[in-house]
Amino acid sequence: MKLDLLKGSRSQFLVILLTGVMILIVVRLFWLQIVQHDHYTALANREQMKHLVIPANRGMIYALDGTTPAPLVMNQQVYTVFADPTVVTKHQEVEQVVREVAAGEMVDGDIQEMLQDTSTQYKVLARNVSLRQAELIREKKLSGVGFQQVSKRVYTEGQLASQTLGFVNNENKGQYGVEERLNDRLTGTDGVLKSVTDVANVPLSIGKNNIRQDPVDGESLVLTLDLNIQSKAEQVLAAGLERSGATDGSIMVMDPNTGQIKAMASLPTYKPEEFTKVQDAKQFVNRTVSEPYEPGSVLKTFTVATGIDMGVITPDATFYNTDSVRIEDRTIGNVVKGLTGNISMQTALNNSLNTGMVNIAQRLGNGEYITKGARDTMYEYFHNRFGLGELTGIQVTNEQRGTVISPDEAEGNAVRYSNMAFGQGLNVTMVQVCAGFSSIINGGTYHSPSVIAGTYEDGQIRKEDNATHRKGVISTEASQQTREMIYKARNGFTSDDKPGYYVGGKTGTAQTIENGQYVMNQTDGTYLGFGGTKSESKYVIMVQVSGKGMNLEGNRHAMPIFTDLSNWLLEYYQLQPGE
Amino acid sequence: MVERARRTVSAARELVRKHRPDYRLISYTAVLVVIGLIIIFAIGPQRANLLNETFGSSLGDSYFILRQTMSVLIAMGAFIAFAFFFKFDWILKHSGKILLAGFGASALLALFGNVFHVEAITQCALGACRWFVIPGIGTLQPSEFLKFGVLIFLAGFLAARMRSGEINSRDKTLIPVAAILAVCAFFIVILQKDLGTGVALIAIVASMMTVAGISPRIGAFAAAGLVVLGVVTIVIAPHRMERMMTFLSGDEAATAVDGGAYHITHAKIAIGSGGLFGLGIGNSVQAAGYLPEAINDSVFAILGETFGFLGLVFILGMFYLLLRRILKIMDHLPDERYKLLAAGVFGWIGSHVIINVAAMTGLMPLTGITLPLLSFGGTSMVFIAVILGLVFQASQYTAHRSDLKKGKKDEDSRSRRRVGRTRYAGRRSI
Repeated sequence: MKLDLLKGSRSQFLVILLTGVMILIVVRLFWLQIVQHDHYTALANREQMKHLVIPANRGMIYALDGTTPAPLVMNQQVYTVFADPTVVTKHQEVEQVVREVAAGEMVDGDIQEMLQDTSTQYKVLARNVSLRQAELIREKKLSGVGFQQVSKRVYTEGQLASQTLGFVNNENKGQYGVEERLNDRLTGTDGVLKSVTDVANVPLSIGKNNIRQDPVDGESLVLTLDLNIQSKAEQVLAAGLERSGATDGSIMVMDPNTGQIKAMASLPTYKPEEFTKVQDAKQFVNRTVSEPYEPGSVLKTFTVATGIDMGVITPDATFYNTDSVRIEDRTIGNVVKGLTGNISMQTALNNSLNTGMVNIAQRLGNGEYITKGARDTMYEYFHNRFGLGELTGIQVTNEQRGTVISPDEAEGNAVRYSNMAFGQGLNVTMVQVCAGFSSIINGGTYHSPSVIAGTYEDGQIRKEDNATHRKGVISTEASQQTREMIYKARNGFTSDDKPGYYVGGKTGTAQTIENGQYVMNQTDGTYLGFGGTKSESKYVIMVQVSGKGMNLEGNRHAMPIFTDLSNWLLEYYQLQPGE
Repeated sequence: MVERARRTVSAARELVRKHRPDYRLISYTAVLVVIGLIIIFAIGPQRANLLNETFGSSLGDSYFILRQTMSVLIAMGAFIAFAFFFKFDWILKHSGKILLAGFGASALLALFGNVFHVEAITQCALGACRWFVIPGIGTLQPSEFLKFGVLIFLAGFLAARMRSGEINSRDKTLIPVAAILAVCAFFIVILQKDLGTGVALIAIVASMMTVAGISPRIGAFAAAGLVVLGVVTIVIAPHRMERMMTFLSGDEAATAVDGGAYHITHAKIAIGSGGLFGLGIGNSVQAAGYLPEAINDSVFAILGETFGFLGLVFILGMFYLLLRRILKIMDHLPDERYKLLAAGVFGWIGSHVIINVAAMTGLMPLTGITLPLLSFGGTSMVFIAVILGLVFQASQYTAHRSDLKKGKKDEDSRSRRRVGRTRYAGRRSI
């Protein structure tokens, strides 16, 4: 049998074909891997190298519980559950599982419809899901469902001090209050991770050029606010509003010896946790610093202090009261009438006589007219020394300056300054008034108001004091005399104070201005006072109530709120009563 | 006809006695399998991690390497079975049934997948059903089985035609072969939309026909016909047209959403960024989800990223040596059926390597086809082992070149020589 099979074999043809293709491929590989190597490395890096941000933890915010810091705003790690509709296979099951575990956190809308939308790879199904809930969902191993860790602000005391705190918006930026004003300090510095990542941006440990820069967490701040006082203040304010039917109210408690604010609040307020549900942005506003108004007669204490310090009056100095006084083309009258004749400055303060205050202003001049010199003096005290119409530098956002018109301006005439003597014709904030008032009753030292006690580091407060302290804005004697006059002015009105303490205060009822015009039948009620022992005032409280179309009065509506809080504070501070 | 073929076998058997098989075939194969295991060991954890992230599964780091090791062990079993136990004669006897079974499996797949949509046992993507799902075990690709059926059947069929000198006969050879190819094309290219496997099948048949001695004129006609058919196939299918456009327009600026462009760009990024020496084992970044199919069809690109130009040239060199070896064995097989089997195996492995690598390097449009011995996946691995096992079995029946030419009847020690150099008869031969 012949085996000449090779004749038909074409193996040489196949070998040449194979060799040719192989050579072509090797040449191609040489082109890609050697010649074009840098090009493809650049392409690879552009795609694989990511600058990832390692978020810094936002600083917490503490308040004081007595002298111990207590957390008011904390961070919680929560999860956003999202789906990649291009990957999801079991649409019904995904919805069912998420609903079972986290119905309350689910987003509104038709989930099935969202899961069908394959134009995106990211559809949020639920927000603010806890770690436990996230794990329950993860256990179900649903394809196309992912989790994203996010940090959320948690408010341990609900709506307490919300306007002072502010909130953190969805872009992680502080809004209103301390959160906005000190946003940079609270935010810290994000870290950077430059790393090769997988396609889902998860960093891989491979690669030589990875760079890591650790984040610096934001500072944790300790507020000067005392949790207990803040809470009580909000409570008595709310009760006072209910009693009076007023719709709006503000309250502030300050330590007159340091300028530290122990409580400040305005009603109505909101829950920072639910800031998205707030309809009226006014609720976010801390009116005690952001809403200047005419406080009215409470500022008579400032006029009296100015007069005494300038030596133009004493508490017993008398003037001739005729129930009204004419300043240029205006007639200024008193609310309390009939106390005509020679009466003392103490009586004028007790009865809140406008004529008495105008008399002091006149005495600052030549005794008859509110001269330029008198106005300069009043401006020096009101504006330069007591800080009215000037930013106090308090560490919350959007502080308003208000307006105290200088005598150098045409508007700063005698009529205006006669009005200013009893608290009208100027726009000031409660925090300015409290700070100025503190200097009047504390022996004459002005402390700029502050809401930050320091930072919280390693379980301790690191105190910081950026406040200015100006001694001798009025003399110690003038302070002492004015304080006594205010004490007497209050005690002529009320005997509701706990016996054995030294509590003074002044009412104020002011017409309100809308669109530049005084509105009839709408007045704000204000009360400003101090409390403590005879030797030292421990607190200054200012209360303001208002309401549209309502006549609210200092003595009837604001003072009881002051009294409630004052009596509580005397007990809270455990002050020993004198005789 | 079959009778005559059988006589030929016995005639050849008389001349060529069984001797030691060709172990070099195993060496090249083993080197490639080991490289495959290394790369899967290296990127398996990333792959598992990626699937866990995307699909919420919980695959361990060693999931892929364990599965691949299992596949290799099964493949080794298959190799041994087909190298030593399933005699080629016996398999040939049943080649008709095997081919019919291949058609049957494809028809069943089409029935369950395309007609009844039984999702439990079929796996379909974009209307193309290519896999059976066997719960608990994995997936099975009937087209691999069909390729095997065609290979075995044609080895017997064409060998008979060779013996009778009717290889160029239109009615007896060309039309039956074309008919088989047409049925295969219907299942694979049209129903399963798998042009890559279709081309591989044509390569198998073409290399068998070439070796069988088809006349160059007919060969050229067939090639021209296939080109026309290929163009038509591409033009009528939108997804192929897209890939073709991607290929032609280049892909440097491929931030394109188009999957094909993305795939090829990333294959080239992986290969190109590998450079001369590669990034090293375990340093592949493209495998971390950037390059699609990194572990199966695109494994060549990951090999390029990991081992660099030198590594790829080495791997291609191994394939080249393996394929040359198969041709060499083929040349020394006096039995036409063995000879054609080897030719078909050459076409099978060669086409897979070339189609896959050419696509990965941007020399050819993308078709989904595995890289033999290196891609992750059991079906492909087992079938490659089976056909290599058969070639290994055949390598026991080679004859020396001089015998083939002379056609000597009398037996001497030279008839026991294997491929290559002379050996002493007594040494380690069976």
